Formats: sequence, C-alpha cells, structure tokens
Amino acid sequence: MKQIIKRTKAYYCVECGKCSGSCPVARVNEGFSPRVIVERALSGMKGEIEGDRELWTCLTCEACTTKCPSTVKFSEFIRGMRSSAFNSGYTSRCSQGGLLHSIQRVQSYRDIVQNRLQWISDDLKTSTEGEVLYFTGCLPYFENLFSGFVNPLEIARSTVKILNKAGISPVVSPNERCCGHDLLWTGNVETFQKLARLNIEMIKESGASRIVTSCPECLRTLKLDYADFFEGTDIEIVHISEFISSLIKNNDIKLNRAGIMTYQDPCRLGRHMGIYDAPREVIKSMGELVEMNKNREESSCCGVSAWATCEGNSKLMQIERLIEAKSTGADMLVTSCPKCLIHFRCAVHNQIPVEKEKVDIPVVDLTVAACRALAGE
Amino acid sequence: MKSVLVIGGGIAGIQSSLDLANRGYHIYLVEREPSIGGHMALLDKTFPTNDCSMCILAPKMNECNAHPNIDILSYSEVMDLSGNAGDFTARVQRKARYINEEKCTGCGDCTAKCPSKVPNEYNGNLDKRKSIFLPYPQAVPRVMTIDREHCIYLTKGKCGNCKKVCNAGAVDYEQKDTFVDLNVAAVIVATGFDMFDPTHMQEYGYGKYANVITAMEYERMICASGPTGGHLETAPDKEHPGKIAFIQCVGSRDLQHNPYCCSVCCMHAIKESILAREHYEDIKPYIFYTDLRAVGKGFEEYAVRGEKEYGIKYIRGRPGQITEDASTKTLTVWYDDTVNRKVKGLEVDMAVLCTSLIPAKGSDKLAAILDIELDEYGLYKSRDELTAPLDTRRPGVFIAGYCQSPKDIPESVAQGSGAAARATEVAGGAYI
Amino acid sequence: MKDEPRIGVFVCHCGTNIGGYVDVPSVVEYARTLVGVVHAERNTYTCADDGLTAIKKAIKDHNLNRVIVASCTPRTHAPLFRSAVADAGLNPYLFELVNIREHCSWVHMKEKEAATQKAKDLIRMGVARTALLEPQEEIRISVTPSALVIGGGIAGMTAALSIANQGFKVDIVEKDSEMGGMLRYLNDLYPGGRKASLVMDEFIGKVKNHPKIEVHTSSTIKKVDGYIGNFTVSVQNEKVPLDIKTGIIVVATGADEFKPVNLYGYSGSGNVLTELELEERLKNGSLQKLDSAIFIQCVGSRGEGRSYCSRICCNVAIKNSKLLKQTFPEADINILHNGIHAYGTYEKMYREAQELGVGFRKYSKEKPPEVTVDGERMRVKLYHELMGREIEYTPDIIVLSTPLIPHPENGDLSRMLKVPLGQDGFFLEAHVKLRPVDFATDGIFLCGSARAPADIIESINQGYSAASRAAIPLMNGYVQAEAITAVVDETKCIGCGYCASICPYRAASMNEKTVVAEEVSYITRKSYINPALCKGCGTCAAGCPAGAITPNHFTLPQIMATIKAFQQPGAYIYDRIKA
Repeated sequence: MKQIIKRTKAYYCVECGKCSGSCPVARVNEGFSPRVIVERALSGMKGEIEGDRELWTCLTCEACTTKCPSTVKFSEFIRGMRSSAFNSGYTSRCSQGGLLHSIQRVQSYRDIVQNRLQWISDDLKTSTEGEVLYFTGCLPYFENLFSGFVNPLEIARSTVKILNKAGISPVVSPNERCCGHDLLWTGNVETFQKLARLNIEMIKESGASRIVTSCPECLRTLKLDYADFFEGTDIEIVHISEFISSLIKNNDIKLNRAGIMTYQDPCRLGRHMGIYDAPREVIKSMGELVEMNKNREESSCCGVSAWATCEGNSKLMQIERLIEAKSTGADMLVTSCPKCLIHFRCAVHNQIPVEKEKVDIPVVDLTVAACRALAGE
Repeated sequence: MKSVLVIGGGIAGIQSSLDLANRGYHIYLVEREPSIGGHMALLDKTFPTNDCSMCILAPKMNECNAHPNIDILSYSEVMDLSGNAGDFTARVQRKARYINEEKCTGCGDCTAKCPSKVPNEYNGNLDKRKSIFLPYPQAVPRVMTIDREHCIYLTKGKCGNCKKVCNAGAVDYEQKDTFVDLNVAAVIVATGFDMFDPTHMQEYGYGKYANVITAMEYERMICASGPTGGHLETAPDKEHPGKIAFIQCVGSRDLQHNPYCCSVCCMHAIKESILAREHYEDIKPYIFYTDLRAVGKGFEEYAVRGEKEYGIKYIRGRPGQITEDASTKTLTVWYDDTVNRKVKGLEVDMAVLCTSLIPAKGSDKLAAILDIELDEYGLYKSRDELTAPLDTRRPGVFIAGYCQSPKDIPESVAQGSGAAARATEVAGGAYI
Repeated sequence: MKDEPRIGVFVCHCGTNIGGYVDVPSVVEYARTLVGVVHAERNTYTCADDGLTAIKKAIKDHNLNRVIVASCTPRTHAPLFRSAVADAGLNPYLFELVNIREHCSWVHMKEKEAATQKAKDLIRMGVARTALLEPQEEIRISVTPSALVIGGGIAGMTAALSIANQGFKVDIVEKDSEMGGMLRYLNDLYPGGRKASLVMDEFIGKVKNHPKIEVHTSSTIKKVDGYIGNFTVSVQNEKVPLDIKTGIIVVATGADEFKPVNLYGYSGSGNVLTELELEERLKNGSLQKLDSAIFIQCVGSRGEGRSYCSRICCNVAIKNSKLLKQTFPEADINILHNGIHAYGTYEKMYREAQELGVGFRKYSKEKPPEVTVDGERMRVKLYHELMGREIEYTPDIIVLSTPLIPHPENGDLSRMLKVPLGQDGFFLEAHVKLRPVDFATDGIFLCGSARAPADIIESINQGYSAASRAAIPLMNGYVQAEAITAVVDETKCIGCGYCASICPYRAASMNEKTVVAEEVSYITRKSYINPALCKGCGTCAAGCPAGAITPNHFTLPQIMATIKAFQQPGAYIYDRIKA
C-alpha cells in the first residue's frame, strides 16, 4: 500500500474534500467518500479498504482526479487498491452476473478461436495487414448481450465505412482480444497483462503503425496502460472522433445536417485522455451543438464503469443525466463511447422512477451519427 | 539630498516612501496605475479591526502627495536600471495620459461629458467608467487619465468633448510617452500582487453563473463607495442574498495552479462574512475552508467572534462543484460534510470565490530589468530568504510587501519600513 | 480677543461629492450673512492647486485673520489647508475645517434640502468657534542621536545593527549573560534547515564587532525617564548601575515557550517533550532511535484561557517532523493537529513533510487526543472525526507544540516605558494595521515576539522595520511636538491625580509644589502636563473635577460658542455670544 500511496501521490492529501464534493457517486451514495478512503490508506488501514464494498463503487471517472489540488491520482489509487484487494481474495460485484468478465478472461487464453468478424459485410473493405488497424474492442460481444436495446456493431460498421471513405482499408483482426480495461480496473492485473501481450503480438504482426479505436476505454488502455508493452515501437493510437474531425478539417469528408445535438463526454475520452474538442467539432459539422450544463471537465459519468458497479445509484445518475440532456431541447444525445450508449439506453429501456417523456431522448453514437450524415451516401 | 526610487505605490511602497521622506531623503515613487493606493484602496474594511480601508489609507496617500520630498510618478514604469548601489540611474517611462498634470484640477467636467463607457476595472468590472477618468474619487494624484485603448478621439479622431469642456486646458491629445532618467542611491521594489482569474476552474462556474463572484468583486460591492453603493445584489432581481458561500483556496494551495497559501484569504473571508451580517441581519454566511489559518495577532479571536457573534458557519471542505438553477439563478454548492461524512448540496444565493493572490503581472519583466531573481512562484527572491529577506541579489535593490512573499497589510507595512532602513544603510555607505 | 475676527469661508463642491447634494451657492450666500465673515466663496475642489491659491489670495485681498474650509474630513485634509494658510502668513491654527461631506452630503444623499440646511448650521457653528481661535506654536524637541534596544535576540540584534549602520550609537540591554535569545535553544531553522548556532554566531559577531554598538549583558532595566529624544534609562547589571541617555527605545524582549505541566502527560521529564526540549535533544544528539513519534498541536493555545494561535508552532512541528523522518526513515511520525497553519510559502515545507511520509491527522477541538503514560509505555488516543472512529498510537516520544507566551516581566517593563500590553500579555502596538512596530507613545518601538509570536524571518523583518521608524527622529535631530496640548491652571488644581491616571499618553504627572499663602507655606501636589508627550486629546480636561485643565485650541469658550451657535439658527449675531 505504501507503494500505491507513493505512486499516486496520495501522501499529498490535505483532506480538503474537493474529491468528495466533486464525486457523482457520493451524491447518491452516502457511504462513499473518496476523502475517507484516502485518509484510511494514510492511516494505515489497508484491510479495511480492501474489505469495504465501497472500494468497488468508484466509477474511476476522474471527476475528482482532474481537480485535486494535491494532484492525488485517485482513480489510479483505486485501481491499485482493487488489485491489492483482488489478490487478497476480494472481488467486485459485477453486473451481468460477471458474464462479461468471464468472456474477457477467456480471451486471455492464447489458443481460443474467436468468431468476431461476422459483422463485416460485403460493402466494407478491411485487410489483414496494413498501416491502419481498427481495434474493434468488445463490440461483437456486446451485440450478443445487448441487442435488445442497442446495436453495438453499427458502431463498428460505421467506423469502417468512414475509414473506407478516407481511402483506408483497415486491418481488422480475428485474433484481437479484449483490451483488458475492465479486468485491469477490477483488480485482475495478471489477466490484463496476458491480454495485453496477445494484443501487442497481434498488432505487431499486422504491421500497423496507427490504431483507430471507437471505444474510449480501448483508447486509454492502449495508449496509457499498454505503454510499457509498446516500448520501443512507434505506434500512433487515435480515437475515431479525432480521426473524423481531422477528415472534416481537411475537407476529406462532408457531413449533412442532422439536427440539434447535445454531447456526453465519456470519462475515458474526456477527463482521462483530455479529448473534448474533436467530438464537438464533428457534431458542429453536422448540426447544432447545445451543451448540457455539466460539460467537458464537469461532465457527469454515465454511472457504470468496468461492469463493476451497476446498481440503483447508477440508474439515478443515468436518469439525472438524461433529464439534463432532454432539457437542452436537443434532438438527440450523442456520445462517443459504446458503454455510455449501452448504459443510457438500458436506463430508458428498464423500469425507472420518473415519467418516460422526461428521459426519452434518442441516444446515438457519434460515429454512427457521422456515418449516417455522410454526404452522398 | 540623496534619492531613493520606490517602485509600486501600494501600502508597502507608500510606507517606504514616507519613512524615507520623513528622514530627509528624496523619493521617486513610480506607480504603473493612474493612482497610488494599490489593492488596499479597493478594499472595503480591513481585518481584524474592521477599520475602513480607504479611511486609514487616504491620509497616507495624501501625505505622499503633499510631501515636499516625494515625487509621485504615476502612470509610469521603470524601463532600465544601470549603475551600482549608491549611484543608480533609473530610466522611467512616463506613459502619456493625454492630460497636463500641472493644469488638471481633477474637477471631473470632462468625465461628465465623455461618451465612451468601458468596464470599470477599479470596481471589479461591475460597472462602467468613462474613457477619461479618475480611478476613484480619492485618487492620488488627483488628475485625469485618458484610456488610449478606448478614447473615441484617440482611436477614431472624433469626439474631443473632454478638450472642449476643460476649463483648465489640461487635455492634450498630442501628448507622447516620455522618458526620464533618475539618479538614485537605492531602489525599493514593492509591486504587490494580482488576482488569479478563476474562469477556467470550470467547477465553480465563474463567468458562467451570475451569482458566482470573486472576493475582490465582493469587496467593491459591499463598499459604500462601490458600484452598488454597498448593497449586495444577486441576479435576477438585485435582492440581497440570504445565504452566501465563501470558498477558500480557489487557485491557491493547489498544485495544479498556485501551490502556496496566500496568507490572507481565510481572514478576508471572515471579515467579508461579518460585513455581510452588519449590512443585513438575515444573511447566513458559510465559509468552506481547508485549514482556517487565522495566524496573526488577534486573528483567531476574530474567527471565533465571527462564529459566535455573527453566525458564520465554518465548513471544513473545498466544494467540488457549483451548479445553478437556470430559472432562479440560485446556486448549489456541493461539498463533503466532515462532521456527518455526507456529500451535500447547499443552496445559496451567492458564492464568493476567494481567489489566489498571484505575482503581479509583469513581475518577470521587471525582475529582468532590475537584474533580480524570481523564486519558484514568480515572486521576487530574497538574497537569503532566512536572514536577508529584504535584500535581492543586486546590492542596493530591496523588496517589500506581497511581491516578496505572501503577507497581509501590517506585514507589508513592516517590510515597507524595513526596506527603508536597508535603503538608508546603503545610501549612507554602510552597506557591505 | 486682540483683534476683530475677519473670517474667510471657502465652500468646496468636491466635484459632485458635495455639490451634487448640498446647494453650495446658497450655503455661500448664507455664510456671507454671518457676523465676522468678511469673505465667502466656493471652489470645485478647494484642495486642488487653484483652490489653495484662492485661499492665499483671499487672505491678502481681504486681510483675513481666520479661515474656514467647508469640505471633507480634517483627518485627511487639515494639514494641507493649514500649510496653505501658513504660506499666506497666518498662524496655521487660525484655521477651521467644517466637514460638510461626511456629515451632510454623504449621509443625507436623499434629503438635499436637509443636507443644505445642516451644512449652513455647521458653518454657523464653525464661524462661532473660529472667531475665538488663537494662534498656537509647535515646539521642537531636540533628539539625542542614539538608540537603546532592550533584548539581544534576533529581532533586537537586527534592529541594533540597522540603526548602527544608519549612523547612530546603539546600546543593547540583554538580561541574560549571552545574546541570541531563543536562537540559543534552537537546533535547525526553517526554512532551509540552517543550524541556529551558525545564524546566531553570525549576528552576534556582527553586533560585537560594530564600532557603534555597545552590549550590556546580564543587565536589566530599572527605570525609564523622559520622552522622545530625551530618555534616560537606568540599567542595573551585576557590577554597577548605569544611566543611559538615548533618543529612542526599541523593545525586542521576545517571548517564552509555554510549559504544559499536567497536560497530555507532560511532567518536564520523560518522553513527553515540548518542541524546545525536542530541539535540545536533537541539538546535543541525545535523542534515542525511535520507531514512532507523535506531535500534538495547539497544546495550551486556541482555547479557554489562551485564545490566540501562536502562529509558528505548525511550522516548527513540520520542521522537526521532517528532521525526525530524515533521521529515522522507518519511523512512524504523525502530527495530530487542529488545522495545519503552514501559511504563505511555508506550504512547501508542509508538502515536503508529506513527501517524506510524515502523517497529518486532524483531531477535533471538542475531542482532543488523550495521552496516557504508564511508566515507559505511552498511548495516544485520537478521535478521528472524518472517519468517525478512534485510532490508537503507542509512540516512543510525544512532542507537544505549545505556544509562545509573553514574558512575566512584560508588566514591569510596560509600566516603566508607559506603553500598553494587549489582553494576551504581549506588547500592544499603536495601530494593528498601519503602525505595527510603533507604540502610541512617541519614540518607543517594538519588534519580534514581544509583539506577537514571530519566526526568524518575521523577527528580522520587524527588526529592520523598527530600525527604520526609530531612525527618523534620530536622523532629523529633532521632533516636532503637537501644538494642541493641554495646560494646567495650578491655582485651580486640587492635586487629585486623576488626570495622571487617565492620560493615555502618560503626559500628565503629579509634581510636588511648595505653595506660599500669606504666612503659611506648605507642600502640595500639582498636575504637570509635559507638552512633549501630550497629544491634545482632551481626556484630562474632560476628567478634571476642578476644571483646572484646558486643551489649547479646544477651550471651553470655543466649545460653548459652537454649541450656542447651534441653538441659534438663522443669521447668528456674534455679539450675543460675546455677552
């Protein structure tokens, strides 16, 4: 734990409480306080943190981390403590009964054979080798689980379509594995590392020098958490929103007007990676952007992270955010993270304690929206 | 008579000037703004005695003005310093104020007729001033200044009202910047501080929410000679607030912004809370603090009195976010309540950000001109921070007040005097 | 009255400050009707150059022998107008300022007619008083060009060195056998961690080698006589008593560390220490290796009895905790505090201690930590408010951060110097905001922890500050005493001594006088008011039961005339008052 404190600069904590005051979870969950968790660690109460179910409540959304006056990396601190707890035999209360984590763990075995390319329809051009690799992420698996209320693979198709439009036939590999984000953030570092090694191998084999992701979690994981594995290579990793916005800037594509939109900053894309402008530029080129009150650094999380936390409080957060989105008067809520999309749609899809019309704003993925707005399609 | 150059006409520089002038030295008091007085001239009251700031400062400003040994060079900046201790030559740029200082009587006829209105930086931009203006009625020297950025005549060649109405013939549109060389034995730098702009700390919504203001704006608002005549006004209906939240350490004690503690904000927040209660009995002030640093003489007692007699509620915690109800403009301050260990939203009508006091704009440039060092924060560095706090690396150049390190008014006054002692030692040749 | 009054009245518009609310032309017209007024005019700004020129011109043109300006406050502007009047050849005390801005326009902004009427009333009253004004003379007091510094700690040594470097002889009176004050007991200094002994030796060396400084160690002050410029200080050392004549006095007597007997298991021995006792162990290397240490802040301060924050203790604890952690890296060092007051750039030191791994745990004022000492074994129980639970420590040493407290001798010294102490027992400066190192009594100055707890840098700053203030009269060689002073009519004085007991400047004293009345002569006490010390505040005159004291410039007839004029609205007849 001393190392975690040192690595995350938790020793700098002056108990100012700005973290808790910023925390979207603490507002709906009285038992949760980042300030208390750090204070416990600094008081040497390792066991109590590991055994506390609230350790798994944190969304690692970094609402606190970005403004901590003492620069404590709270999300990393939580990740470290979760790993420590995991090694002591504690686990998260996974949503979907842990099914997603099982699927992810299975992917860490070298010899498994995945059927993850079926979605590539004839009109899409992909390659097995090339300069640009599209890291699909978990979209094919999500399709199987959540097709009742979302269409995850449309994101993948839209991504490839846009890449094609730019003259790129991306590598899409059948040997791609889950990036490991969710396991890493629920304490299972060992399996994460296995997944990372397999993915690095796959990427190196493809000869790609540039990776495009449509998922901010993959982006963060590949760019930051794979950094050690990528050592010595010179691979550029971009999110599709950055890619599209550069296409627009260079006049390589044109988008048709698609209405009034408001935008949900995914935590990983925004606060983790600092990408706020690119998706907004894409939206502005296809419609009018009306901001929610809480935007950019102040944006609220969609309420679930790493499939570790879905509970009543998550629903409250989702509903509040949807009400905020709806009250902007926008035609749709655009996000650039497949998980935000799933969580918001899930909230509307299920029983909620408010009237439906307060929250029933269409939620659309940015890439899908851009693809639909492609001029001349 | 030996001369000393004092740079900066705030309370520290004023004290240096008066101490030296009263012992027979000649002082050139160079001030960048149109008037001496510094930040103290913009404060309403002062802690812990609640003395009216301008009432105790104005006599000193006037004493400088009337003193036969003090030349105030306002609206001027030091551009170069050559020579050595005991025999410096300072080059001072006297910026064109387009007014003949000898002729202007400060009558204000010109201001009344000036059609150009600009945000009044001396009132926290809460109201407008004219392009020909006195910063405030007690300004010293009492001469007008034309703001060349905004004057219609100077920018477009039209208008000329001020010149037409000036009976003293003091308006001179042709005036140019001039330079004077001053021979001085020693230099005292007392350039004070500037206020941190909290706009980009989005969590607090400054610039976005009408009822989020800075402490400096609050000082002007609660001051009887300020833009609202001493009335606290909130949007949308100019009613006085029922609850006010003071938020400490905005941009200070913050490794992402300004790492040091500004030394004065806890105290001015307490004072501002007390003033709120003295203006309106039904106001409920809340102070959100990290550590309530009431470390000066009589300060702790003042803080306790604030709680017991004025009903200030102290809350240990920095709020994480302020949100606004778009229709009523009321604010919700989100904070972690230490005592109950619960995150709560406190509804208030006004939030005052006690923003960081940062090195004065242009400190780096002046340091280069004077060949003195800056410390890691951008404040002027002492030759030896422990044993020679007033000295810089350049013999004969001394520092005093906030520009040396964070401090309050009495400490600034003490250093202003102290630097005068050091300057006297140098001018008398005793400096080794 | 030697001459018939010829009064000039100058009514100021103060731009719109007065002119916007008071009908100035009608006030001027009214002033002209008052008996004794031979000239009245109005000015946009009487204080501006053209206004002052107008005053001087009118004095010549109309042969004025009294002047009234009706404008703002005398606090800011009386000196300016007085010097204008003097320039024109009149005695500057034949001038009166009537405040129609603060008293009329500013407080009656919404009642213009009433404001105007009040301005007229005030001017009428001013005219009545002015007619009776008499010339006053300011006295010049010569100044002995030397200084006496009480206390040879860092503040006193700094002040002495600076005054000496400014060219004046300085006597340092130190009660101990060595100079250095608190520095003698300190180990390392913050910020920077330099050895206290190095800094102390450097300062003592400079003081001892300075040709203009004389040091009297093992010496105490027995008596102080005189006033600014001309003090005589009786000093007693082990050898001979000595009278030192000096122009000014600097008080730099420092403070003591509070010994918290019976608090938190402190007994003066064992392993519960004060910060100074820890410094001593660190200094002489007698600190045993330790696995755990607890610092407790605000022991004996910020509470009942001693309400103040001692300012420096958080920084001292941080400094020492860093040192302990550097010496014993594996040790568990925790500071239990009620707010860490590492103000200003000392925040950096706080951060450095955190980096080293020093723990900072907050206790709540309502439930302070509990210490139990059982032989060698010590326990500290902390109620942690944020976590809502208790934590227990078993430290090897407990360090109590106690406040600096005023010397017990402060009372005696304050009586001898006739300077006040504050409620907390520290010396009280003239004005907490703008005169931090002056006393209300002229010629006596203050620096260092005698004023309030201060660290090394602050003591040095204040030492220089006192040196600057002190050098002003020394360099000028004289001081101008107040012209408005009180005088005693000995024929009326009954010798009760009440004036001496209430004079805030200690200017009034009782002298023995031999009175010869017909065939009897007897010794009695009569009040004497020293014009060099008197500030003309009038407290004595108001208090004197025999009506024997008159403050010049505020005589009873002058005040009565003012009041009578108030009672007689309309054009007031000067002769009626005279009768």
